[in-house]
Amino acid sequence: MTWSPATSERADAIVARYPERRSAVMPLLYLAMREEGRLTDEGMKEVGDRTGITAAQVLAAASFYTMYKREVGRHLVSVCRSISCHLLGSEAVLDAVADETGVPDGETALDGSLSVESVECIGACGGAPAIQVDYEMVEGMTPDSARALVRWLLDESPEVIRSDDLQGRFGGSPSFDPGPVDPVGAIGPFPAFGPYGTAAT
Amino acid sequence: MSEMVKLTIDGKEVEVPAGELIIKAAQDHGTYIPRFCWHPRMEPVGMCRMCLVEVETPRGRGLVTACTQRVADGVLVDTKSDMVKKAQEGVLEFLLINHPLDCPVCDRGGECPLQDQTLSHGPGESRFVEEKRHFEKPIPISDLVMLDRERCILCARCTRFCDEISGDPLIEFIDRGNYTQVNTFPDEPFASYFSGNTVQICPVGALTATPYRFRARPWDLEAVESTCTMCSVGCRVSVQASQNQVLRLLAVDSEPVSHGWLCDKGRFGYEYLRSPARLAAPLVRGEDGELHEASWGDALATAASGIKDVIDRHGPSAVAGLGGARSTNEEAYAFGKLLRSVIGTGSLDARIGDAIDPVLLATGESRALIGDLETAKTVLVWGPDLKEELPVLYLRVRRAASALGATLIVIHPRSTGLDREATHVVRYRPGEGAALLDRLGKGEGDLAAVRAALDEGPVVAIIGRGGLTEAPGLASAVAAFVAGLPGASILPVARRGNVHGAIDMGVAPGLLPGRVAADQAGRDTLGEAWGTPVPAPGRDADGIIEGLADGSVRALIMLGTDPAADHPHRARATTAITAAEFVVSLDLFVTDSNRGADVILPVEAFSEVEGTVTNIEGRVQKVNRVAPGTGQSRPAVEVLGDLASRLGGSLGGPADALAKEIAEVAPAYREITWDGLAWGEGRDGLVAAAPDGGLPIPEPGELTGPPVAGMALHLGRVLYDAGTMVTAGPSLEKVMATPAAHLHPDDASRLGVTEGIAVTVKSRSGEAVIPAIIDSSLAPGTVYVPFNFGLDIGADPGVEVVPVTGGEP
Ligand code: SF4
Ligand code: SF4
Ligand code: FES
Ligand code: FES
Repeated sequence: MTWSPATSERADAIVARYPERRSAVMPLLYLAMREEGRLTDEGMKEVGDRTGITAAQVLAAASFYTMYKREVGRHLVSVCRSISCHLLGSEAVLDAVADETGVPDGETALDGSLSVESVECIGACGGAPAIQVDYEMVEGMTPDSARALVRWLLDESPEVIRSDDLQGRFGGSPSFDPGPVDPVGAIGPFPAFGPYGTAAT
Repeated sequence: MSEMVKLTIDGKEVEVPAGELIIKAAQDHGTYIPRFCWHPRMEPVGMCRMCLVEVETPRGRGLVTACTQRVADGVLVDTKSDMVKKAQEGVLEFLLINHPLDCPVCDRGGECPLQDQTLSHGPGESRFVEEKRHFEKPIPISDLVMLDRERCILCARCTRFCDEISGDPLIEFIDRGNYTQVNTFPDEPFASYFSGNTVQICPVGALTATPYRFRARPWDLEAVESTCTMCSVGCRVSVQASQNQVLRLLAVDSEPVSHGWLCDKGRFGYEYLRSPARLAAPLVRGEDGELHEASWGDALATAASGIKDVIDRHGPSAVAGLGGARSTNEEAYAFGKLLRSVIGTGSLDARIGDAIDPVLLATGESRALIGDLETAKTVLVWGPDLKEELPVLYLRVRRAASALGATLIVIHPRSTGLDREATHVVRYRPGEGAALLDRLGKGEGDLAAVRAALDEGPVVAIIGRGGLTEAPGLASAVAAFVAGLPGASILPVARRGNVHGAIDMGVAPGLLPGRVAADQAGRDTLGEAWGTPVPAPGRDADGIIEGLADGSVRALIMLGTDPAADHPHRARATTAITAAEFVVSLDLFVTDSNRGADVILPVEAFSEVEGTVTNIEGRVQKVNRVAPGTGQSRPAVEVLGDLASRLGGSLGGPADALAKEIAEVAPAYREITWDGLAWGEGRDGLVAAAPDGGLPIPEPGELTGPPVAGMALHLGRVLYDAGTMVTAGPSLEKVMATPAAHLHPDDASRLGVTEGIAVTVKSRSGEAVIPAIIDSSLAPGTVYVPFNFGLDIGADPGVEVVPVTGGEP
């Protein structure tokens, strides 16, 4: 597999930033995911070639971090299960999501429409229970609002997911943090990760 | 001497070097601290927590991992306190929560550190009643290694070995938390030349080797210490057999040579010993022109009368001997004595036209030991790809460069296994080595930095023949250049098993036993000891082959050698041997070389005879017997002795008697006795050295041939070639490489060749059709073909490459 010229150029620039090529493995894995919609074996080999490490070493890093997805649907629903959300009923929220979509925790719908996962604290404890869709936050969920949310995802298959939009449609009372002034929204399940230099340009 | 510190271990005051790890300090003073992840030859990681000990320092008491904590003055260490015991029990209970406890069907049972330490330090029962994790039971992670992830305790010994020691991290920890497992990348198997080491150091039965799986229980094995003879590094091994069959080889740590590692060819190569193709009885050519089984008496009589007949009609110089490089020193010595003293010929050679000047191998000038790599500032490798030819030496050089900070210079016609570690990689077109050496000497242009590094002593230079089309004298020229540098020493290398020993035993026309030149004085002295005259130097391997072809040599005795496979011009060698009037072969197999012989005598091999071998650095080490040879095989020393007596001479008795004789007549081997070589703690063989400083580095001779017609051919070796040791064992046969023609991209596009299509490589000697591989590490105008795959392209410096029309990928 070869990457598109734009991705390739991006990768070269990232690699050039580190004194050791292998240090670029993590940002390059995001590029690989963006390139193919998920992390494939070919993508990991490409990362290995560009960082001078073996494919096994790339896989070791990639499989340690749960946000590198080797399998993922068009949308990714992450239900928080850490302490605050748990105390406020996240288990029921997760059950509702699984029930409404037919996709159990940690799996992907057969038609590839969406993946469901439970995750550790996503930093919205003040607005627990919280969910992320394609890493865009929505707070103050209930089992019912969660059902409505995933139904909307399945029925409408929206192009762009935005936190404030989600919050307006499905969210309950949010935490005090108003979030970024000018949210950019996500165009897929992969975060922009600007700080790593992987943002689409 | 490094600074020493005093500390107390279990109430006993000990003095150890500053910076030592507690686990090592304790072990050196008789206290064994249990451990799983720590390995003395690898960096500590502190992963398994089994080595917890209680220490008391001015800052208080507490548990620390003894494998990561360094000693300090005045520290009190307690390895057996209640706190420690509780911790050990806890760690073992943890390690066992997911362990399947299938010891009765586990290969490791009976020699398993987990089993042993659970017994000695474990709690005896577990509070874990939950479901253990499950994985598919053993999965093959390569052709040679199986992995049972349920048994794995995640100590990371295997993964660290691959990353730190062998430099091919093809296995890694995959996933995380409770699901962490060792594994390979989905379609990239654990194809490492060193994979067997991970099996040996795995502290449980998670990694097992296919050649040994379910073959024996450790307590049923009979073991002897010995030396691997697959190549000339000479790694120390334990050879283990049951019911007269060698079932496995384990590495034994030797500080000067192997550091406890083996390559897979050495470790798994023993299978040829019990190959069904192995000769079980002598063969004699009958009236009908076919080989027939014969009694030893008849075979020896036929052999002796055939040789005698040639001597009578054409004189002793019409008899020649090839071989000895796969034999013990005693066998090689007997072979040389038979030829020189009993038969009276000076034509003998242990090399088969493929090694460097024997005088360079035996030189006493500026010689390095492998151990000098530990303190070298600069290491130069100008010769073979060590990873392919001398694997454990590759590990030692890799360590010098990656862990000890030496500047590594690799000079070779193409990429080698060491390039990743090298500071300077210099590539050249085969045939242009002499010109390169000249430029290097002057430090011209891009070579200035390399030249400067060579001025940074101590320098250790490993010198050998980079390829079989290379002028053999180049190595001598390189050696002479390096020896002239201040603080530099040389390690001249040839690959085949005991070729260094055979040369030391005088199996080369110009050399007598003990690194003595075969000049008049040397021959007189030896003749006096032998009580027979010693003939003047005759022909070397190439000369013998020419002589056989033109009829000036009529009879050939071969000792464990296969020129039809190993000679660079194999077709020429085969024709010559076929032309011989009378051929006697001592071997384990019928090969292309001895198929036409008149008498084939089956001899005992590695692990079947006792004796000594000599490695690349001149270290003489013991090999021992643990099993008998197949059928009626006999020790070569006896067979040669019987031949000698039938020819009216005598060699001096069995191997132990010959060893004593060698210690008397071979100056470099004086004082080297079997008793002095007996393996034991801290006993790692003895280094042979000529008493008077030894032979000087030989003159290089002609280095530049006529300009190459067509493309320059580079013929290099790969570890798993089609040699008998690989093809005669089912395990290594699976990993045998396939030959291909490697071309520089420029040449490939000029010739219209793409990766994988068939090309014809044509030389004056013949041609071969093999797939092409694009290899940008080659100089343009060069084609690289691996040697010893039965291809008939000879070893002429120039070849032609043409794509096969319609050659589909
Ligand atoms: S396979 Fe063996 S050596 Fe490797 S991590 Fe597991 S227990 Fe350790
Ligand atoms: S490097 Fe040579 S001597 Fe050592 S194990 Fe391998 S084949 Fe045997
Ligand atoms: S616990 Fe759910 S967001 Fe922090
Ligand atoms: S041996 Fe010390 S932690 Fe494993």
